[in-house]
Amino acid sequence: MTATSQPVPPAQDERERLTRIQIDRSCRQTVVWYYTSAVFWLLAGSVLALIASVKMHTPGFLADWEWLTFGRVRPAHLAAMIYGWGSMAGVGTLLWLQARLTRNRLPFPTLLPATVIVWNLTVAVGVGAILAGYSTSIEWIEIPPFTAVLFGFCIAVIIAASIRMFRNRESRHTYVSQWYLFGAIFWFPILYVSAQIFLHTPAAKGAVKAAANWWFAHNVLGLWFTPIGLATVYYLIPKVIGRPVHSYHLSLLGFWTLAIFYNWAGTHHLIGGPLPAWLITVGIVGSVMMFIPVVTVAVNHHLTMVGHFHYLKHSPTLRFVVYGAMCYTAVSIQGSLQSLRSVNEITHFTHYTIAHAHLGVYAFFTMVMFGAIYYVAPRLLSTEWHSAGWIRVHFWTTATGMALYWLGLTYAGWEQGRMMNDPRIPFLDIVRFTVPWLWSRSAAGVLMTAGHLAFAWLFWNMLRRRGAWLPGPTLLSWKRRSEPRMEGAAG
Amino acid sequence: MAPFYFVLWGLAAVFGATAIAALVWSIRRGEFDNLREAALSIFDEEEPPGAVTDRFPGSCSGTEPLP
Repeated sequence: MTATSQPVPPAQDERERLTRIQIDRSCRQTVVWYYTSAVFWLLAGSVLALIASVKMHTPGFLADWEWLTFGRVRPAHLAAMIYGWGSMAGVGTLLWLQARLTRNRLPFPTLLPATVIVWNLTVAVGVGAILAGYSTSIEWIEIPPFTAVLFGFCIAVIIAASIRMFRNRESRHTYVSQWYLFGAIFWFPILYVSAQIFLHTPAAKGAVKAAANWWFAHNVLGLWFTPIGLATVYYLIPKVIGRPVHSYHLSLLGFWTLAIFYNWAGTHHLIGGPLPAWLITVGIVGSVMMFIPVVTVAVNHHLTMVGHFHYLKHSPTLRFVVYGAMCYTAVSIQGSLQSLRSVNEITHFTHYTIAHAHLGVYAFFTMVMFGAIYYVAPRLLSTEWHSAGWIRVHFWTTATGMALYWLGLTYAGWEQGRMMNDPRIPFLDIVRFTVPWLWSRSAAGVLMTAGHLAFAWLFWNMLRRRGAWLPGPTLLSWKRRSEPRMEGAAG
Repeated sequence: MAPFYFVLWGLAAVFGATAIAALVWSIRRGEFDNLREAALSIFDEEEPPGAVTDRFPGSCSGTEPLP
């Protein structure tokens, strides 16, 4: 009877196993609400995007309503996608990842769902205000200033929840994804508050306002969406294929170099603008230094996947996440090169930049979020996705739509830039040259929207639990070569 | 307006400083002492390394290995 130390390991195992289901269940309400709202804003943003895109080649389209003019629809599309779809899908995934990685239940079961309601209202008011003509006309932050208070409340609750889970963490190690997530939730509020102060008070005026604007706008990408996206990739690729990250060392190097270099890069948006040359040079140096984190992340993800690429055929999550991770590499390398003065003097103020922005926010971040929702939702609702066919439709329409979008606008933008640098070419000829490529952009938009409708249909059926029921602790887990390793791990 | 640029860049430096502070904190806490274990920390008994955890719906019975 003295050897009572024996039962301890099984008890721990039991607790660990139970906790994983409990963790997922504890996230159910909050994360499902975040995801549902995100899907709604994805559809709303797609409609606004299509209207804006059609207006580029058919200017008379819906031109009689002032609230649907290009100058309002385009920023409304941006706000719906950035603050509605992207941020809400991102926060849902962030909370779920934090809960899983700290092995904690998601705290604040009433306050966190309340943030979903507040967040939705804020985005609705913001998008409505832009359409009604109350845009601040500062890119990426067009929604009215008072919404900052509401976002501030939501972010404060999310930070409090993250800190609470981290303090009570049961895992001995801080996984690389957690570093990225903490980066996102601590930097974004500072960024947002400083930008609000700089842009909506007399603190910054004239050309200086542009510097503050682009420091903010670029950092929303770099220190909010990118860390959430990469945290998701670093968790999901190893989890789906059942293989740890190839080099954990490289993953940490990637995080800290991103943390140090990224937030200097914003002023590369203002090359040629009326700002001191040194200010812009600092931005270019920051952008080029980004090669280090990008290459480490790319090499690491690639080497983790090597020998496992055939899983792409079998896993919807992996398809979307790997597509997103590859596009992260592409968009970052493109971004660093684009920040060079010699390249930028061609690409600046052309459609090339629009293609680049969508490669980042759509091909990287949005695709990773699709992958995350395919992984997380069945675990929250204990239900299988109801149709493999619709998932394939979603993947192929969005993947090819994005490729078409990028190819058309990249080519058109580059040529447009070269023509604009040649004073002998009349401006109208350049505009006429771009029109067919603007049509290809609308066609790509239709493809992507079709994909979003397929996704919304799948998600709707997930909410109605139309798929097969998935009980038990090993949701969607197919073991492979697991028996010997399990014994090894237990011993 | 030159002082304002320094405010902006001071803020950027604060961001960098938070990263370096976090780095120092984690080195002191020994976060980097066992990287292999940290990389394996996302796996557990139910989903050990080798367990494939995502598939298209309805494509296998539940225990069948991948081809």
